[in-house]
Amino acid sequence: MKEMATEVEQHIDVETEGGIGWIRFNRPEKMNAIGALTRRQLGDAIKQAERDDAVRVVVLTGAGRAFSSGADVTEMVSGGGMRTPEDVGNVLRNEYMPMLQRLRTMPKPVIAAMNGPAVGIGASFALACDIRIATPEAYILEAFVNIGLAPDGGVSWLLPRLAGTGVAYEMFFSGRPLSAADAHRLGVINRLVPADRLEEEVRDLGNQLAAQPRQAIAGAKRAVNHALTSTYEEAMEFESYLQEAQAGSSEFAAGVQKFLESRRKK
Amino acid sequence: MIGRMGYEHILVEVEPPIATVTLNRPKVLNALSPDLIRELTGALSELDADGSVRAVVLTGGSKVFAAGADIGDMADRGPVDQLLRDQTGRWAPLAGFSKPLIAAVNGYALGGGCEVALMCDLIVAGETARFGQPEINLGIIPGAGGTQRWPRTAGKYVAMETMLTGAPVTAQRAHELGLVNKVVPAEMTIEVAKRFARQIAEKPPLAARLAKEAVLKAFDSPLSEGLATERKSFYFLFATEDQKEGMHAFLEKRKGVFKGR
Repeated sequence: MKEMATEVEQHIDVETEGGIGWIRFNRPEKMNAIGALTRRQLGDAIKQAERDDAVRVVVLTGAGRAFSSGADVTEMVSGGGMRTPEDVGNVLRNEYMPMLQRLRTMPKPVIAAMNGPAVGIGASFALACDIRIATPEAYILEAFVNIGLAPDGGVSWLLPRLAGTGVAYEMFFSGRPLSAADAHRLGVINRLVPADRLEEEVRDLGNQLAAQPRQAIAGAKRAVNHALTSTYEEAMEFESYLQEAQAGSSEFAAGVQKFLESRRKK
Repeated sequence: MIGRMGYEHILVEVEPPIATVTLNRPKVLNALSPDLIRELTGALSELDADGSVRAVVLTGGSKVFAAGADIGDMADRGPVDQLLRDQTGRWAPLAGFSKPLIAAVNGYALGGGCEVALMCDLIVAGETARFGQPEINLGIIPGAGGTQRWPRTAGKYVAMETMLTGAPVTAQRAHELGLVNKVVPAEMTIEVAKRFARQIAEKPPLAARLAKEAVLKAFDSPLSEGLATERKSFYFLFATEDQKEGMHAFLEKRKGVFKGR
């Protein structure tokens, strides 16, 4: 009975509107802590968003005051599939890794709408998105050290690249938050907007990106992901081949046509 | 472009001076059935003898290279059946192909599919490529050279991990390991392989053939023997028209035209 009652809980809310697929952490009473059920539903939601052709832009956000407070620590100590240290590692490798990788590699833009704090693995999700838009109440907290853990969920790779190693180390060592304002100043957050305008702002950007040439956008994401693990020369060569493929596409033909027409009108 | 007729499981396009062979059983991820192997090795024998062809691209198309053998076909066979059929021995026309052979790999190259790629001389991988030997999961081991060609290319420890865990490696990882020459966007893999082929096809064919033979000798013999092979081939090439043409063209600052004589 208990099992069944748990199953119907919706820890993740999914909604497609226009070309935007909204994925919302939906445990506001727990500050959107991520437990076993959350992980399963989130994994499905991300996979579905990648597959669904009607979804051209993905938005990850939270219900209530938090983006996500991170792993449900009560589950870590009292079951929920994480009873041993090895379980902790397995959950990272088998559950979080594929989800986070999928966000970073799916051929469509992924926007984090940071309605509030992103903590621990919650911050990992925000940082794995392509673009971050946040309210002033948001912050990023690498809380791992505060409970005697080291960073996980890819932040040891992401945060030094986004904020620089000095900022990353300070956050990892001190367990103190990076405010939305500081994150914005550092370029970790793209835009700061008041809470009551967050959804609208994200929707506007989402609609704009959803109308862009799909393959060209996917190409940008593939090029950046390739470049992040290669040399300058390799990156330029990969770009050149991608561009060759793109230059033969109907998107390029249509784009040039549009460009020429707009010039003629002037 | 001339498409060769009469094949059911592969496509052969001859665009002199190159040819492209495409494994063409997409519904079964290009599983290497006995019929496919027969067609492939037959086509390669023909292309080896075709004077208009100087380099060949081998590909599985845009989605998958080849996901191994036909398991359904093998499950209930005995050792004698397997020996009599000698499926692995039938790869000789591929392993012994005298002209440069370039694999264009997108998606899975698993089991026999991976071994086929490893029998080629260059490998161009799309970013989607995955190389692996999952045979161990079925209670067997690679049977078309995998246990020998992996360690000779990627080293003992990588080879052991690949054989013993059955887990595939990504294109990027394969590139780091020196298993592939280039990682390119998947939609460009075949084109880039063809360009390699055309570039190589402009070279004097006898030199290309002997260079290939000498490099393969390195996997197959003690250094002294390999060096002896190299030296003899080196001297021999001075007996060719193409050597005279190549050196005179160089001195006259023009591009050589090679006849393969």
